[in-house]
Amino acid sequence: MSTATIALLGQPNSGKSTLFNALTGLKQHVGNWPGKTVEKKEGSFARNGVTYDVADLPGSYSMSANSDEEVITRDFITSGKADVVCILADSSQLERSLFMLADYAGIDAPCFLVLNMEDVAKDQGKTVDVALLEKKLGIPVMMFSATDTKAYDQFYFTLERALKEKSHINVSELEKEYEKIIGYNEIKEQIKGGNISGYTPMWLTVKYLENDKVVSAKLKESLPADAASKIESIGLDANGAIATGECKFKWIDELLEGAVNKTKTGVKLGKLDRIYTHRFWGKPAVVLTVILGLLGSFIPALPIMAVASIFDVLKNVIGDALVSVGCPAFVTGLVCDVVIQSFSYIVKMLGFVFGVTLVFGMLEEVGVMARISYVFDNTMGKLGLQGKSVMPFLVSFGCTMGGAAGARVIDNWGQKVLTIALAWAVPCGAAWAIIPMLSTVFFGAGAPLIIVVLLLVMILHMWITAKIFGRTLVKTEDRCGMIMELPPYHKPKWGALFRYVFGRTKDTFFRVVKVVLIVCLIFYILSYGSGVNDTSILYKVGTAIEPVTKIFGLPWQLFIAFVASSVGKEGAVGVISALYAGGSYGEGFMAAMSGAARAANLNELLLANVSRPEALAFIFAITFNLPCVVALAATYQEIHSVKWTAKIAIYYTVGALILACLAYHVGLMIW
Amino acid sequence: MKLNELKENTEAVVKDINGDSRFIGRITSIGLTPGCRFSVVKNDKNRPMLLYSRDTMISLGRSECKGVEVEEVRA
Repeated sequence: MSTATIALLGQPNSGKSTLFNALTGLKQHVGNWPGKTVEKKEGSFARNGVTYDVADLPGSYSMSANSDEEVITRDFITSGKADVVCILADSSQLERSLFMLADYAGIDAPCFLVLNMEDVAKDQGKTVDVALLEKKLGIPVMMFSATDTKAYDQFYFTLERALKEKSHINVSELEKEYEKIIGYNEIKEQIKGGNISGYTPMWLTVKYLENDKVVSAKLKESLPADAASKIESIGLDANGAIATGECKFKWIDELLEGAVNKTKTGVKLGKLDRIYTHRFWGKPAVVLTVILGLLGSFIPALPIMAVASIFDVLKNVIGDALVSVGCPAFVTGLVCDVVIQSFSYIVKMLGFVFGVTLVFGMLEEVGVMARISYVFDNTMGKLGLQGKSVMPFLVSFGCTMGGAAGARVIDNWGQKVLTIALAWAVPCGAAWAIIPMLSTVFFGAGAPLIIVVLLLVMILHMWITAKIFGRTLVKTEDRCGMIMELPPYHKPKWGALFRYVFGRTKDTFFRVVKVVLIVCLIFYILSYGSGVNDTSILYKVGTAIEPVTKIFGLPWQLFIAFVASSVGKEGAVGVISALYAGGSYGEGFMAAMSGAARAANLNELLLANVSRPEALAFIFAITFNLPCVVALAATYQEIHSVKWTAKIAIYYTVGALILACLAYHVGLMIW
Repeated sequence: MKLNELKENTEAVVKDINGDSRFIGRITSIGLTPGCRFSVVKNDKNRPMLLYSRDTMISLGRSECKGVEVEEVRA
């Protein structure tokens, strides 16, 4: 069986991801480019006895070297790894979207052009003369609609043709434009002598004119010294990129002349866009959209969550069976409280992840996410983030894992990591289930005030975290303001989207299982005591370091509950309940794992044993602790970095203790 | 005049672009080059501007707008 490699190249919103998902379906692999903080997406499919490897090149706007993404894309294409490059453009806005093609012209790798969004163009009354374009360009060109299942046969046909013909873009007309630029001919004359594979002298000259640092360095390296110095001596326009840009667009205009027919150009905003771009209603509309999306994601999530309850039944049945055959308690606990319980957790969470990925993936594909970016650009820009980041934050009020999964729509790795790191500070649904309860027990009518203070601290926390991590994750020189297209709305391709979401959920499942099992096992071993408190390691350590934890306002019982809240916040109350009721720690932990068994007289127990400043410290500690072990695993799954996942986790644990300490001492002053 | 000084529903032509090569690269790739005609769809304070050019709705941050020199075209 022979193989061929295709690289997909296109600007954001060219429908590249949809095509990639539709082609490769479940056969995808997502990781990072070696040594780079850029996501690498690969996949494959087979057809007529040929295996095609597909590389979804990272989102970029041009073939320049302004970002890691663009350098990676360029290097991949010119390395010769791809047998053919599929360049995508949006046929409803060819004038602009052919820029990638114009910037590509002159790279020495065979290619073909796919004019996507045929349906949108048709709706706008545009027709394209593909044959004329093919003639002018000298490469295969096709109209395409990635959402139309029937269009794929034509795609495969064109792909096979492109692989056979191995044709390059005819650049003679384009070069005529370039030749008008001062210095072009002189520089090209010198470059001709050099030998840089993958690029034509024309392309290198243009990039040199554009002040492309990577190309300049390469030329210096490979050209003879006299040629290099001659080039440097040629006086250039400082803004060469503007001149070459004009050439490219002029070429595009000429290319399209007679090839594109359009009846009308609409400048008006649609009804929905008038609301989203409204000065006052825009933000509420976006928040409402995200909330509806969040609620909507429960529809596909609920059936999966229901499956999780099977595990609860299983746990009881298997537990009873193991006890009846005289299995040692340690093993029974291991099977029921670690393995089965973990799976119950994971499946419940996965349901949510599935729903969130589906709904927000759909919003991205339809074009709503670009509007969200627009509306919140100013606010999120202050944190060094894209406007889209507001969505994971809002989703995290429900579940941090959903927030992490939702951050997938952010196309810059550093901003994605920073978004997730900040989303962790948002108290999740589990925290909201405990905080009001604890606040009411200890502070009565003052409870709403505590919640307001927590929300203010959350904002401050996010701001500080953005300052701390932002510097390395989103470098100042990489902080680019908004220069973005608001794409026309289009229909989602449900089949491809579903397959993609299933694939990602499956990946998440395997990764999450590993992390959750390991962490739960560690906690189980640490907390395992044979029925009596003082045999478990956690108890021994907890009581031994109590003098230290007291500084943070946490007696050992609360400290252990804090530690347990790293596994799941739901469990924290169950742990305190067990510990103050005099039960064994082991039991308390298990109770916590299976969802907060509370003593009936919990309120009295708490009031009798915990002072108000301690309670305040505890509320802060668990609210701002790392959300839960499943969110930790989901974060790892999204950012593919052990180092950053660990960094964020440690930062949150330490941060929570510092906040607890502050809260405690403020509390001591008040009460 | 600067791009951000234009009023809503006006038409203008790009005269010049000022900024580092990264900025110029990005703004060129979205289609705003000298001589390019566009219309201002939205210009609200504290919001990115919305322009329509080359069949594309473009959203441009307020500080980015300052790097674009334009001239209004009167119909």
